[in-house]
Amino acid sequence: MVQYGGDEVSALVLDIGSSTLRAGYAGDDTPKAIIPTTYGFKPEAESGDISMGEVGAVGEVQSSKESKMYIGQHGPSVWRADMQIGNPMSEGMISDFKPIPALISHAFRDVMRCNPEEHPILVTEPAWNTTANRERMAEIMFEEFNVPAFYIANTGVLNAFAAGKGSALVIDIGQSQASVTPVVDGFVLRKGLAHSHLPQLIQAHARHTLTNATHNHPPIQLLPHQLIANKIPAEPGTPPRFTIREDRLVKTPASLLTYYENREVDEWMQSVAGVLDQGWNEQVATQRPPRQYEFPTGFNTYFGAERFQVGEYFFSHTRDMVAQNPGLPKTIPALITQALTACDPDMRQVLMGNIVLAGGGSLFAGLGERLNNELSRNFPHVKIHAPGNPTERRYGGWLGGSILGSLGTFHQLWISKEEWQEHGKAIVGQRCK
Amino acid sequence: MAGASAADVRSILSLPANATPGPSQPKKSGPSTKKPEGISRELYSLIGPSAPTLAAQIAKPRLKQKPNLGGGGKVKWQWRSFKNSGRSDSLQLSHWAKAHTDPDTEYPFAKYNVKSTEYTYAQDEYTRLLEDTEWTKEETDYLFDLVREYDSRFYIIADRYEYPNGPARSMEDMKDRYYSVCRKLIRNRPWAGDEASKAQLMSSFQFDKEREVTRKKYLASLENRTPDQIAEEEALYIELKRLEQTERRFKKERDDLLRTLMGVDSGLADLAIDDEGPFGDPKKKSKKSGGVIDLDSPATPSSSTFAPPPPKRAQSAKSAAYDALHCITRTDAPSATTPATKASHQAAAFRSMKMAYPKSSMQGKVAQVVTELGISLARLVMPTRETLAQHEALVEAAGALVETKKVVDRVDQEIRVAKARLGMRESEAPGASTPMEVDEEVGPPAEGRAPSVVSTRSARSRKQTGTTRRSLSVSSVDTTATTTRAGTKRQKLG
Repeated sequence: MVQYGGDEVSALVLDIGSSTLRAGYAGDDTPKAIIPTTYGFKPEAESGDISMGEVGAVGEVQSSKESKMYIGQHGPSVWRADMQIGNPMSEGMISDFKPIPALISHAFRDVMRCNPEEHPILVTEPAWNTTANRERMAEIMFEEFNVPAFYIANTGVLNAFAAGKGSALVIDIGQSQASVTPVVDGFVLRKGLAHSHLPQLIQAHARHTLTNATHNHPPIQLLPHQLIANKIPAEPGTPPRFTIREDRLVKTPASLLTYYENREVDEWMQSVAGVLDQGWNEQVATQRPPRQYEFPTGFNTYFGAERFQVGEYFFSHTRDMVAQNPGLPKTIPALITQALTACDPDMRQVLMGNIVLAGGGSLFAGLGERLNNELSRNFPHVKIHAPGNPTERRYGGWLGGSILGSLGTFHQLWISKEEWQEHGKAIVGQRCK
Repeated sequence: MAGASAADVRSILSLPANATPGPSQPKKSGPSTKKPEGISRELYSLIGPSAPTLAAQIAKPRLKQKPNLGGGGKVKWQWRSFKNSGRSDSLQLSHWAKAHTDPDTEYPFAKYNVKSTEYTYAQDEYTRLLEDTEWTKEETDYLFDLVREYDSRFYIIADRYEYPNGPARSMEDMKDRYYSVCRKLIRNRPWAGDEASKAQLMSSFQFDKEREVTRKKYLASLENRTPDQIAEEEALYIELKRLEQTERRFKKERDDLLRTLMGVDSGLADLAIDDEGPFGDPKKKSKKSGGVIDLDSPATPSSSTFAPPPPKRAQSAKSAAYDALHCITRTDAPSATTPATKASHQAAAFRSMKMAYPKSSMQGKVAQVVTELGISLARLVMPTRETLAQHEALVEAAGALVETKKVVDRVDQEIRVAKARLGMRESEAPGASTPMEVDEEVGPPAEGRAPSVVSTRSARSRKQTGTTRRSLSVSSVDTTATTTRAGTKRQKLG
């Protein structure tokens, strides 16, 4: 037990991301509860609707503003008349704390079936989190969940820990943010921190490619299967034949429709889109085998070179694009350059030899190879640690928290309830550096 | 049986019956009634005590014993709360522990909670020792707080350093201030230990700011090289390595050549081979080589040159006279320093068996040369000591001659190739810069090396010409396979 430094005190680890909320026991290798951070809600309370959805799969919470929330696996993904969609996250941080207790409670109580009052809780935060935000999180944990102990750790540091490194350059590509975090001895170098909303740009570009006519396909309708009554198999490239559920369509608010459409775009990107490993080359792109993809409407076609154009935005922006949009998010190489420039020259070599690739967005096909090629061209000794296991890659932050929370030497760092009551909010900044 | 026959004998001999065997019988039956385990009672009564011991083992089959892992089987675990001495509050976390362990033992991970020694100073100490125009006391306090908070991790300290209204501080500034304050405190405080440990502690707080800044600058300039510069540096490095290699090869070849020409075994072994190799002072070299050997007549060995040096043994005058009288020549006895192993032992042998033979690779050619002198290598009619010495000298001289010729041929070939190449280059681009000229134009750091590059070339050419000159004399004897016999003879006789 002492040899590997582990001492499990059955702590809970909570990692809230833009797309999913991960919760589980420290010491496990995968989170027990993975629920979408996005939730559905109806602005005014409806009476007599308790039977809707099974308890446990759907969290139904009456929040303070008299709205009904639909949380969990069958929350926003199940169509409900006039259900709006909300997401508490923006720029990787929690911007709206109202639904947070409900989300956490659903993950712990309904999915994991445990009582947070009995377990110390380790929560994650992005490196650019504000002091007010982390103090608010501590307050929620101590006051609303009555936890015995609390700690808030940085996702960059935790991703480095998950890779078994104390010092690393963590490249974390999530659903909304791409960040490059230099970590030295388990501390974030705040001056070297760089992040941008690059994934959002790429999603917007993919959506634009699909919904506008190209030489390859007509404008594609991104209707979700929830709104389609039936469809008939269609030949590739031919117009789809399907019936829309008109009754549902009229009762679908704009936010829900956008959420569904974005999910279709994500799905398409995950299965078809990719990036060339040696920079953009029209010829190479056309030589790659095209991939067939079928949308919920039944429309299907082969995607050739255009599926590689999407990934190109991770690495470079065309000149006219930069000219048109001044506020374009920085590409990954630009973020790395920014991070390294701010670091001490002594540290650069160490960081480049310990690059950790993390986040669900980094699973984009071919991204790891391309990054390796780009970096090897400019730096002499580059080593990228990219877990091959998708679960480890996507939930690296949670995994690092799971490791940290089960270390024997860590248990002296917990902020106990007693300390919280004695010192107040200031203790969070003092303890969690 | 035996008892009964004894009784019979007694009755026959009409002796009184002896009572002594009586008590032995019940004694014997006593232990034999004990039935060994594993045999049924009926069987035992049939076969009696003579039952095979094996039967007992066969009778009761047993399963193979299970391996006993962990020695003790069940371990009871208990969910138990523990006290962490690293915590100042009363938080009690719980973990699974073995039930038999003492719950009051120290938390095993508390021992890792070590703090590095902190240096603090009082107000009077500060005013007395630590005043600095660059730093206020408040900022110094702030710096020491940070160092304590981040355990002297200066990368982090430099990252988090935000002193309000203070000047911008580099990591070197902070390190310089912190270490100098620590040094002053150690120097001026009473020291309990000895001077050596104090000096050691002081040296661990040594920090040279200027050097560190210069180092960082070099590092930055190293990183800011353009790809062209990196490529050029790499090319230069490879060129340097190549030159070093050729230098080594030339030196080796020269040594070989000298050895071949003069024969290291011939008493010239102490000839100084200058370590500078072919690039050393050419004047010195030529003078030395000219003084020691006559280059023009290397192929005229005299017996005195090649004869083995006379054994220098401490002989008494009497024994010497005795030896001379009886024609005894004493060979060198194995010296006392060499151990008397099998390898060092020399068996008694005829002198004719120790006849010198040329190396097998050159045997044919050497034989050819010797035969031309009218001597047969195969057999010596009178293998006396003197004859053998002469014979050996002859074979060695012939071998040296053949080797020299080989070298000469090779050098000739190299010169031809080099000349052809030179001619080609000159005709191709008379004005174009050669790689050597580029080398010479390299900036100051390369200056020390560039002249040596040039000298390498010139030294090589000098060497080649020198060899050519030398070869003129040798080439009069042609030993290549293509030579006609008559030609060789004429040359040799001439």
